[in-house]
Amino acid sequence: MTEIDVNKTDPYFARDIMNQPGGEKIWACFSCRTCTASCPIAAINHTFNPARIIRMALYGLKQDILRSDFIWFCSNCYACQERCPQGVRITDIMTLLKNMAIQGGYMPSGIKSQMDIIKGEGRIYPIDDFDNKKRAKAGLPPLPTSCEVVKALFS
Amino acid sequence: MTDVGRHPRITLHTLSEIKDVNGYVGNFDVSILKRARYVDENECTACGDCAEACPVIRPDEFNLGLSSRRAIFSPFPQAVPSAYVLNANECLGHNPVVCGKCLEACDKGCIDFHMSDKEIVEHVGSIVVATGFDVYDPTELDEYAYSRFENVLTSLEFERLINAGGPTGGEVLRPTDRQPARSIGFVQCVGSRSAKKGGNYCSNICCMNTVKSTLMLKEHYPDMDIKVFYIDIRAFGKGFEELYTRSRRSGVHYIRGLPGTVEEDPDKGLSVAVENTATGNLEIHHLDMLVLALGLKPAASTQRLQEMLGLQLNPDGFFLEAHPKLQPVDAATRGIYYAGCAEGPKDIKESVTQASAAAARAIRLMHKGEITTEAITSMVIEEACKCCGKCAEVCPYNAVTVDVKKKIPASVNTAACAGCGTCAAECPFDAIIMNHFTDGQILNQVHTALEESTQEKILVFACNWCSYAGADYAGVSRLQYPPNVRLIRTMCSGRVDEKFIWDGFRAGAPVILVSGCHIGDCHYIDANHWTEKRVKKVHKKMAKMGIRPERLQLEWISAAEGVRFAEVMDGMEKLRQSVTPEEIAETVQLLKE
Repeated sequence: MTEIDVNKTDPYFARDIMNQPGGEKIWACFSCRTCTASCPIAAINHTFNPARIIRMALYGLKQDILRSDFIWFCSNCYACQERCPQGVRITDIMTLLKNMAIQGGYMPSGIKSQMDIIKGEGRIYPIDDFDNKKRAKAGLPPLPTSCEVVKALFS
Repeated sequence: MTDVGRHPRITLHTLSEIKDVNGYVGNFDVSILKRARYVDENECTACGDCAEACPVIRPDEFNLGLSSRRAIFSPFPQAVPSAYVLNANECLGHNPVVCGKCLEACDKGCIDFHMSDKEIVEHVGSIVVATGFDVYDPTELDEYAYSRFENVLTSLEFERLINAGGPTGGEVLRPTDRQPARSIGFVQCVGSRSAKKGGNYCSNICCMNTVKSTLMLKEHYPDMDIKVFYIDIRAFGKGFEELYTRSRRSGVHYIRGLPGTVEEDPDKGLSVAVENTATGNLEIHHLDMLVLALGLKPAASTQRLQEMLGLQLNPDGFFLEAHPKLQPVDAATRGIYYAGCAEGPKDIKESVTQASAAAARAIRLMHKGEITTEAITSMVIEEACKCCGKCAEVCPYNAVTVDVKKKIPASVNTAACAGCGTCAAECPFDAIIMNHFTDGQILNQVHTALEESTQEKILVFACNWCSYAGADYAGVSRLQYPPNVRLIRTMCSGRVDEKFIWDGFRAGAPVILVSGCHIGDCHYIDANHWTEKRVKKVHKKMAKMGIRPERLQLEWISAAEGVRFAEVMDGMEKLRQSVTPEEIAETVQLLKE
């Protein structure tokens, strides 16, 4: 159990989420915990808990959420959103929180390096000559080793 | 129920379906289709010899398919009338070559295959709607796996299992292996309090039903491991909290948190994943059986009955009472009352209370032999009526009859008429007089109000029940609002004829406000829908003629909204100041042409 410093909460955080598409119904959470009980990530990693994130957001613990690693653990399987009896779009809210984190300048180094790879190579798994040689052996056409289009998208 | 069946002045129609209802308070004609029972219900002694002889085996609906019955059967042990019934669709037929075994078995000769469905018309004075409820079907809630695993039961199925007269004689056996269950979990709010699946309302009875079930289990099996997964236990009501406390004291685990997934173990037990709110931990509970506490939903027949009787439903689909506090058992249509879950989910005590109230309301209405109605009813001038049928279309009470094809002029049933005046407002030929609120009376008020310093006046039409009462409330609350407001009271905003508005503008009114009850709160069922339509129509006409449509306003103000009334009047005053004398003169000129 950690202490919550009420002076450091942002009372407008929940409102900011409500004003964005997908976040409208965050207030409706009545803490039934169906989301956490449905979550495949929560089943193996206790630091990720969708219900707790929603409650934290409603308390206004903006910095704790946006600076955290855990919001990036969501696998976007939508099980929680599908089962939420109150119609809270939990997965969409996770995406919203990630967007807000990036806007606030918070991004875990892993995510940052993934983004850099996509920016440079156009894909998350870079293709080099080694891969193309293997592809040629299997009779497959070669793949481009870089992608200018994606770079253009980022600029 | 047995007393009802025996009472000399109560006629019970079982196996019956309402086909149509006509008439009005004191004079309802109810057409009933009485299905053939194929057994003489007065002669049958329910000895059961016929069922023993019957070779057809079917799932027993009363035991929810957990046991079987024959094609000729008694629906359940205490069924009234105490007579068997034959399901013709399941029966093999009475041809001796095929079957006909029950005919031979019945010594008294009660079985008659030549019975046929009968159409009966009953003439009644009042109607009590007590059509009950259906339960939510949990199949769509995949996380609880009701359709996948046999050991997941509904609360109704569990009720049959633990019942001494049920298929297992009261022993709680697992459906898969018929072995006594050692641990049972209950999931609350299945199909209740959900914005997406089932109803978004609380079904009222499931918490206490589960508490009762846990206590029964603890009585029979003190060592059984019982867990209840819940969001909130709603144990309000006399003696309920005590029962809940007793359940907890007897060792039932109440775990706050709803399951997310249910998986079957190799031994056919169930693994239920729940996050316990108290500990914040994700827990996996291994249980022999899981019971889903189903929510209630409106009975399937609700919609059809609503159309036949001209009643209203609330957004949840249950019948809507005339007033939630002051007329909780009355329908908006006179002579119709509600009892039990037809009006909303409720437990036995509340149902009995409401049923007693409904009976007393019906007696109060009927015992005099005649009813007293308000003199505020409408009246048709037959010579002026062109039989267009508009009045019959708009009447919320179906009090106006008119034959458009045979050109029989409209007539108003004064017993059914509640006096909203919508018919008089909509009649294109001025063939309807609304007593006490005649065109002449209202137009005189309009002209008198606008007689002096016309361009400073704000003309307001306010309905008796909401807006006029709202104005009263503003006064009682000593709120300030512009003194140049001139209120004209009508029973309903539906009474405000287009003509009143045009006459007002023709007489030089700068602005006009039509106000009534909020949509859905109209004291004349839905008469204010017609107000809304009419005002929209006038707005269009005004725009076409080059008059600023803003000068006619429509606002819904309730009797409790005194502050809002004052605010609306301030708004109207601002609007009035924006209307120049030239604009008024132009409008008057336009309307005179």
